[in-house]
Amino acid sequence: MATDKIREAFRQPWQSQLIRFTPYIAGALLLVILPAVMPSYVQSIWTRFLIFALFASSYDLIYGHTGLLSLGHAAYFGAGGYAVAAIMLHYNINSFWITLPLGIIMATIVSAGFGLLALRVSGMYFLLVTFAFGEALYAFTWNMPWLSTHGMQGIAGLPRPDLGIPGFTWNTISFYYFILVVFLICFFLVYRIMNSPFGHALRGIREGESRMRALGYNTWLYKYIAFIITGAFAGAAGVLFVYYNRFISPTHVGVATSFLPMIMVIIGGSGTLLGPVIGAFVIVFVEYFASLFTPERWPLILGAIFVAAIMYARGGISIHLTRLWKRLDYRYGSTKS
Amino acid sequence: MEALRVEGLTKGFGGVHALSDVSFSVEIGEHLGIIGPNGAGKTTLFNLINGQLPPTSGRIYFFGRDITNMPTYSRAHLGQSRSFQLISLFPNLTVLDNTMITLHGTKLSRFQILRPTYAYLDLFAKAQEILASIALWEQKDELVKNLSYGEQRRLEIALTLALEPKLLLLDEPSCGLTGAESTEIVDILNKLGGNITVLLVAHDMDLVFGVADRVIVLHYGKIIANGKPEDIRIDPRVKEIYMGIEENAGNTATI
Amino acid sequence: MELLLPNLVNGISFGMILFLIAAGLSIVMGLMGIVNLAHGALYMVGAYVGWTIAVQWQLSFWLAVFVGGLGGALVGLLIERVFLRRLYKQPNEQVLLTYGFVYILSNLCIWVWGGYRRLQFTAPALYGSMDIAGMPFAKDRLVIIAIGIIIAVALWWLQDRTRVGAIVRAGMDDKETTTGLGINLNLVFTAVFILAAFIAGAAGVIGAQLLGAYSWLGTDILLYALIVVVVGGLGSVQGALLGGLIIGLIDTFGKALFPQFAMFTIYLAMIAILLAKPSGLLGRKT
Repeated sequence: MATDKIREAFRQPWQSQLIRFTPYIAGALLLVILPAVMPSYVQSIWTRFLIFALFASSYDLIYGHTGLLSLGHAAYFGAGGYAVAAIMLHYNINSFWITLPLGIIMATIVSAGFGLLALRVSGMYFLLVTFAFGEALYAFTWNMPWLSTHGMQGIAGLPRPDLGIPGFTWNTISFYYFILVVFLICFFLVYRIMNSPFGHALRGIREGESRMRALGYNTWLYKYIAFIITGAFAGAAGVLFVYYNRFISPTHVGVATSFLPMIMVIIGGSGTLLGPVIGAFVIVFVEYFASLFTPERWPLILGAIFVAAIMYARGGISIHLTRLWKRLDYRYGSTKS
Repeated sequence: MEALRVEGLTKGFGGVHALSDVSFSVEIGEHLGIIGPNGAGKTTLFNLINGQLPPTSGRIYFFGRDITNMPTYSRAHLGQSRSFQLISLFPNLTVLDNTMITLHGTKLSRFQILRPTYAYLDLFAKAQEILASIALWEQKDELVKNLSYGEQRRLEIALTLALEPKLLLLDEPSCGLTGAESTEIVDILNKLGGNITVLLVAHDMDLVFGVADRVIVLHYGKIIANGKPEDIRIDPRVKEIYMGIEENAGNTATI
Repeated sequence: MELLLPNLVNGISFGMILFLIAAGLSIVMGLMGIVNLAHGALYMVGAYVGWTIAVQWQLSFWLAVFVGGLGGALVGLLIERVFLRRLYKQPNEQVLLTYGFVYILSNLCIWVWGGYRRLQFTAPALYGSMDIAGMPFAKDRLVIIAIGIIIAVALWWLQDRTRVGAIVRAGMDDKETTTGLGINLNLVFTAVFILAAFIAGAAGVIGAQLLGAYSWLGTDILLYALIVVVVGGLGSVQGALLGGLIIGLIDTFGKALFPQFAMFTIYLAMIAILLAKPSGLLGRKT
């Protein structure tokens, strides 16, 4: 029977099971237990890490999995954030259950629009166009008085989200766990997408678009849907960011912010599930330490890390971790059936 | 009914005509070999039939249906399956992933976003069957780029057949293979059912004459002969083309 | 008429500056197959270096133009030789690398020249205006236009009338055959890259009266240059010139007529081209 053969293929001895679960145990420790005992400024950094891990994961979907080098990704991040900031500023709506969907919808509208035009061209032109669109949104947020408080660029003084729970007040650790929950839900969705037939198809498009078409895939449609999904998740990250940072400015829509998910994905490993998360972890924490010692030179350090990663760290940290894990599994785990 | 009919196919690139007024038809279940010197337009012909390129003029009918302007992916759903001259498997994906992606290509579930690919047990079982039949199941988690050339070619052909297509377009399937491996391909093709039509481009004469019911000879984008293999073999025009090329390729003496 | 003429002159001179940058960007893109996103940053470096020469050290403006060009060329040489060369046949990584350099160069300029103020300057001889046919024209704009025309002609001649230009165009169409003809294409690449970088750096100084020097100039001017390339088409001097003039004029008149939508007129032009003729007005078919 086919199903019996399949079950046989996946039956493994306990050592292998343990190794298989180690990353998840480590993850649980790192994400759930450790922050509870850290001082609040560290919790704040951990929160920042999760938000950028989501942002980086959204970028990896279009870059690592679909193989489209899209610049100006902060446009979707910023669109989500600005949408939320604007309605909080002008309409005093702070209910999280309204702002999150609204931010995601706004970011998705932007990515759907940009994608429609950007996918008309390929290769180098695609880069230029995505870059230009990112800058367009930057200029938009810079010039619209509706998106500024008191004549200063950006919107400041934003509160934490309103969950609709009576008598509930925020502190650093409760906010962290809130972000963690949202992150885990989004991450789970990303995980399912990456493992679905759709996700596999994206990687196929990355590897050989022509062959994918010959197999029956409407590759334009896949790329477009990927655009939309990536916009949605980037927008979600943007919404969370606004609640975390309590301030949003055109910088968060520009090159300096678009740059961040790119370097995180490169360092952590593109086209993998954990790569962007690892990359975000590294960058956010290195940024924190650098800011203690050389705050003005941090961008230069970041740039140098970026260049070094591109030149030398092919595949990113994730690949090395995976290899290590596979070697352990081979030695202590099952033999292939 | 004809599986495929092309009428007056012409393809020009700038001033050059890769194909000029090519017309022929293929019956269901027929094995048609297409031969000709390099640059004769064989791969271009495939690109037109499969949809990678639009024709400059002419029409293409697939099972009676005009598919001249149909995109490639739709043609796959109608039953075309193609292999490429340069192996075009997905190099950085595993053997199993390559197989699952291929099997999903014509299924609606290829749009599924939330359910894992490997949850589709019927497709997984089929993948196992296919890979086992070509002795690649052990390497299912190996990246395709790490396989030997022969293994990759074997996989590509197996995947091309996997979808039980109506029309098989094989472009130089034995390119780079050993004699024994080529013979395998001849066996596979001869064992195909009578409702699978095959178009085969090859330089390997043993392959073509071992498999083909009929042979078309292309030269500078035009059909110069169309008939049974035995007839083509002794056709003086065909001999001239191939002899002429052999003579020019390194003979210093006579013409 | 009073509104038309200064805007026309401004638009054309801005267009010339854009042409100078876009020409280098476009040829490098067409030839080497990569987008050098740092090209705008080379312009910026040239502008800053020129400021040091012309304003800080009070030396000749034209010396500043030359040294600015040298600055651009040197940074370009560094990027190409040390980094890009090692990423042969990896276009994604090459683009990412140049993107990283935009970031690095912008922050380096903040470090060296400090702050966020916009430094605008030009040659003292070019202050003020001169009369032609009874109409006043700003002298520096006229000089920019003149320089632009001269370089346009020179580059066009180089591209279409010299052996080097033929080699470059051949390399764009078919690298393998060109190399197979015994031509050291790597040397040609580097030479083209450096020439483009020099022009960009020099243009930074020439255009300093219009645009000045500031820390995110690299990104801003890159944006304009990219839109010029999309509109004008890839791989030719003519495309860069046409695109440059169009965008220069659209941007200037757009800012004059619709100040609230100042930034968006050029995006509209780009979107229009994307919808109508994605390969650009004078784009070469690749």
